[in-house]
Amino acid sequence: MTASPSENSVSEAAAALDEFADRVAGAVGGRAEVSHGTVKVRVASSAWKEALTVTSGDLGLVFLSWLSAIDWTNEVAVGDEPDEPVEERYELLCAVSNLSDGNLAIISTDLDHDSPSIASVADVYPGANWHEREAAEMFGIDFVGHPDLTKLYLPDSFEGHPLRKDFPLLSREVKPWPGKVDVEDMPENGSSPSTENPGA
Amino acid sequence: MEGTFAHHLSEAAVSVELETEGMTLNIGPQHPSTHGVLRLIATVDGERATNVRPVIGYMHRGYEKLSEVRTYPQIITIINRIDWVSGFANEVPFVVAAERLMGVEAPPRAQWIRLVLTEMARISSHLVFMASYPLELGAATPLFFALRERERVLDLLESVTGGRFHPNFNRIGGVKPVYAAGPTTKKAGMDIPSGFLAETRDAMTKVLATCEEIENLVAGNEVFLARTKNVGVLPVDVGASYGVSGPNLRASGAGFDLRTVSDYLPYAEFDFDVPVGRNGDCWDRWWVRLEEIRQSARIITQAIDGLPSSPLQAKVPRIIKVPAGETYVRAENPKGEMGYHLVSLGGLGPYRLKIRSASFSNLSILPWILEEALVPDFIAIMGSLDFVLGDVDR
Repeated sequence: MTASPSENSVSEAAAALDEFADRVAGAVGGRAEVSHGTVKVRVASSAWKEALTVTSGDLGLVFLSWLSAIDWTNEVAVGDEPDEPVEERYELLCAVSNLSDGNLAIISTDLDHDSPSIASVADVYPGANWHEREAAEMFGIDFVGHPDLTKLYLPDSFEGHPLRKDFPLLSREVKPWPGKVDVEDMPENGSSPSTENPGA
Repeated sequence: MEGTFAHHLSEAAVSVELETEGMTLNIGPQHPSTHGVLRLIATVDGERATNVRPVIGYMHRGYEKLSEVRTYPQIITIINRIDWVSGFANEVPFVVAAERLMGVEAPPRAQWIRLVLTEMARISSHLVFMASYPLELGAATPLFFALRERERVLDLLESVTGGRFHPNFNRIGGVKPVYAAGPTTKKAGMDIPSGFLAETRDAMTKVLATCEEIENLVAGNEVFLARTKNVGVLPVDVGASYGVSGPNLRASGAGFDLRTVSDYLPYAEFDFDVPVGRNGDCWDRWWVRLEEIRQSARIITQAIDGLPSSPLQAKVPRIIKVPAGETYVRAENPKGEMGYHLVSLGGLGPYRLKIRSASFSNLSILPWILEEALVPDFIAIMGSLDFVLGDVDR
């Protein structure tokens, strides 16, 4: 048994992660962000397929972890609205990893909020086929060149895109709980000290 | 064709041309080997499949959407229903993701308890596989051995968490104060129940003995070997590009285990081996899981010998708010990589929670791996991938 990681090895790991992020960003021509141990590399939507071709090839990130999207919008039907206005867009994310030291990079790109459309990467990472079908039905993103962009989970006749923020959740409109209300009153934004554990 | 026996036949006076015609075969949605509700639309030519299209979504419960309207503690109660065979293991990466954004770390004892219970979830999940897989191929006896041990492990899990399948035991910043869980309601039992460590040591000995029994029963069985050896071979590069992970990928020869390269739980402090297969066939997938049970028992034995003392909870606010930020935490779950991409804007619940489940990607290999497979091998191949439809559909 070894002692828990020292401060040194923690900062070494952080440096190694930064180095990995820079290497990926350099190879795919994107901008790297490292937050809470997660590497994200932003690329232009026109460079999406090219970037993922590079990660699956030269960079050796051969393992497709997942592909999904985030609906960034200021008008939400359910859940929290952003406190500060965000730029309305769909953010498409694809997490790829190697099979040696477990370094994982999330390649990200922004799509137009009115008509999201992007080149399919199902021929680069075959596993993206199903993930793209899911993102297509859930967010209404068009994956150009996808071999079979049919519904994955939802019935063929389903209308709407459930993971869009403007898609209402009926059960929450009928009954607010379980949800972000509780049996006791929630404090105002910026919780007062009385809601905290003594000594926290 | 020229000069072959078949050619001479077709040139014979009767001039018989054997014509086969593609037929569509529907399998499911209800079939015992699908572990949930899965439908396959297979186009077969004789006994061989030419095209297989899985139809999923019968169990889609929309957890990603539900998470957007729930608070962090409420989400823990739904995510352990994703892969119900190893519910405890589902909770850990989510809780760790929230802790990372909050900048809190669970105390050592809480982390070790998480680790012990995660490994118990792995043992119970793999024992279900050890029970059901030979059964699907016609061998009923291993089921009784495997489920007897699984019950022992689930009893231990229940004695700590109060739940067999859905423990709901992890809390942001640690684990549930145990006096509120399990059969013990006394304040005196604020830790794991008394006798748990001794019983666990005993149970692990019995689990290891049962592994021997199962191996003796199954591994030398000619029928089992004939049905699994060189059936459903999956090369590493194909598996990786589909996102196949966990024992399925390790059976193909990749020694990749998130427990050894990631720090979501303190696995670095333990001695264990990562079993790796050679051929990537059904037999290797069975063998890797059997070995993993042994390694998990080894980890648990080390953990209960050295369980550190500390509180079970870090200091966190009574009302959990996660600061704005995003992170992705993935864990080596019994079925493969399970991860949560958590995007918070600072509220009581996530703005977006992407759930990466192992079985979804493991199942997406079906069209590839079943192409050109014999129809009688379908069950052998599907069973060896060990998926649970709740983990596919989320």
